[in-house]
Amino acid sequence: MTADIDNLKIARSPERTSTILRAVRGLANRRAAPLFVLLALCVLITLANPSFIEPRNLVRIANSAAVPLTLAMGLTFIILLGSIDLSVEGSLSIAAMVVVLLATNDANTNHYGWLAVIAAIAASTVMGFASGLIQTLLRIPSFMATLGVWFIGLGISVYMLGGSAVRLMDPSIRDLALARFAGLPLGVWVALAAFALACTVQFYTRLGRHIVAVGGGEDLAELSGVNVRRVRILAFGLAGFFFGIAGVLSAAQLGRSDAVIADGRLFAAVTAVVVGGTALTGGEGGVINTLIGVLIVTILGNGMILLGVSPYVQQTVQGLMIIAAVALSLDRLRLQIVK
Amino acid sequence: MNNRFSLRFGVMNRRSFLTTVAAGATVAALPTKLFAADKPTLVTSIRSLSNPYHAVWKAGAEAFASSIGLDHVTLVSEGNSEKGIADIKALLAKTGGNMVLNSDPNDTPDARPIVEACAKAGAYVVTQWNKPKDLHPQDFNPFYVSHIEFDGVASGKQIAEILFKSIGGSGGIIALGGQISNTAAIERKKGLEEALAANPNIKLLDFQVANWKSSEAYDLTGNLLTRFGDQVKGVWAANDDMGTGALEALRAEGLAGKVPVVGVDGIKAAVDAVRNGEFAATVTSDPFWQGGMGLSIAMQALQKKFDPTTQPADHREFYGKAVLIAKDNVEEYYKNNIESQPKVDWNDLWGRVTGPIRT
Repeated sequence: MTADIDNLKIARSPERTSTILRAVRGLANRRAAPLFVLLALCVLITLANPSFIEPRNLVRIANSAAVPLTLAMGLTFIILLGSIDLSVEGSLSIAAMVVVLLATNDANTNHYGWLAVIAAIAASTVMGFASGLIQTLLRIPSFMATLGVWFIGLGISVYMLGGSAVRLMDPSIRDLALARFAGLPLGVWVALAAFALACTVQFYTRLGRHIVAVGGGEDLAELSGVNVRRVRILAFGLAGFFFGIAGVLSAAQLGRSDAVIADGRLFAAVTAVVVGGTALTGGEGGVINTLIGVLIVTILGNGMILLGVSPYVQQTVQGLMIIAAVALSLDRLRLQIVK
Repeated sequence: MNNRFSLRFGVMNRRSFLTTVAAGATVAALPTKLFAADKPTLVTSIRSLSNPYHAVWKAGAEAFASSIGLDHVTLVSEGNSEKGIADIKALLAKTGGNMVLNSDPNDTPDARPIVEACAKAGAYVVTQWNKPKDLHPQDFNPFYVSHIEFDGVASGKQIAEILFKSIGGSGGIIALGGQISNTAAIERKKGLEEALAANPNIKLLDFQVANWKSSEAYDLTGNLLTRFGDQVKGVWAANDDMGTGALEALRAEGLAGKVPVVGVDGIKAAVDAVRNGEFAATVTSDPFWQGGMGLSIAMQALQKKFDPTTQPADHREFYGKAVLIAKDNVEEYYKNNIESQPKVDWNDLWGRVTGPIRT
């Protein structure tokens, strides 16, 4: 019990101390570890290859972080809930399929332009709501419910695309990847907007607070009057919305879509969220952590290419990095059980 | 505690109940083998329908099936070897062995159980791409008719040479490989290396793997452009999916059409890119031909139109002829293969044999 009281004192004391002291305390906190990792990574890569900090490379990093960031924004809310969403690849591929089939393409004669984008995001949002409903109404764990939704999504897009790759030829949608505003591709601005939206949801809405509350202790939240079922359904719908945006961005970047366009994205998104310091047990972390996590993973990938690391060892380095980042960021002394 | 125990006990009960139901259903499904069809069934076994390559393979198989008016079944393993083999065995039981199989085994070791099951049931089988080195059609006469592969070394070398020529014979290139442990990836890389050895003025700036994926190739190419900048004069990709990903990364930098790309597979996006000058070339094993011809060879063996046991070695295990699609023939290829369904003479069984598989 004494330990708990000490914790409360530490948590309360910064309010009374100066801002400088607060900053020092903040940095000493384990939660800042991902930020340190990120900064250290940038410094080390720059020392080894100065072309890392060239504006052109930073723009490229931003560009390749756009899709993972948008995906991870959605996933963060689910992991904050203490659940998992495996439907990432299914939902993304549904959104990419809808956008290529409704916008100008080389397989049919549709030209719905930006309506296609809206339809794509709507389709993916519906998939998210479906995950939430299956979970709460049928009482199926999120792991299984979203695994099912993943394969349903993948199946539908395989069927609709007939297994082939369809090219996206609507120039205004392609501009998401090809046109730039203030030096950054439009897709990056979209990802930043998604980040801003996610921040708003997490810090300024009741839904955001309820998600953290449910993740921290579902029974407590329920006793405090939180409608857990509604929070879950809304959170999964919100995640689906972000996956939809990512699907559109991904189709715009590659200029085409096939059913396997999302291959490997689930793993990358979960890695980014966890490396950022959001605990898989729920209730701890958030979208800002995830932004850092996405940057760590993207910069690590970029850096290894810049340093000429052999492809044969890159995966191993990535694995070591994940373990190191999680080990640094989680306060394992407080974890009583490690599963 | 007691409550928790009884809850678990309930779950166990339900599980054993489900097991019983599943066993019962399996037994009930068994008699289907008594209803073997009198006409042979054509069976295609492939990895997945979610990639363009196997989708075209299936179209070829269906074109052949409709040309002789027989039923055609497509089995998809979804990358799961167990499922692939189990599905084939189930169909062998259902048809009583009266079937021909054209299989792209999910993994090299899978070929043996597939061939053994077919030979035992008396079904004729052709395998493509994957088989162990010590598994030979001659050992399962007459049921294991042929094994077909495409020479990855030759493909990798051919596109590399076209790439070198299109950048004027000197300069730096970057290369994107497939999965490190994959046979086709290793062979195509070997072809690239052979071409590099013959062209000392070409410098391989870096070789990276993008695991056959467009999205990975997109990110990788961007990163490699940072590292090498204007030194990159061309991009060699071990397949078209990665090649088109690289092309989009070049496009984002305003380099599409200036830095030529080459790939393997002949997917539509790559053929289009060859047409508008962004790709220098692509080669294809022609999955449409593979899908139809594998069935045709097995079918003609079943109909006793030829005797597999008397065929020469290069009809039993051979490299098929890859089709090169470059600037000079792309319009013709586009007209015959993309705009309309290709016409293949399904009776020309050995027209694309280029020689026995090297061991």
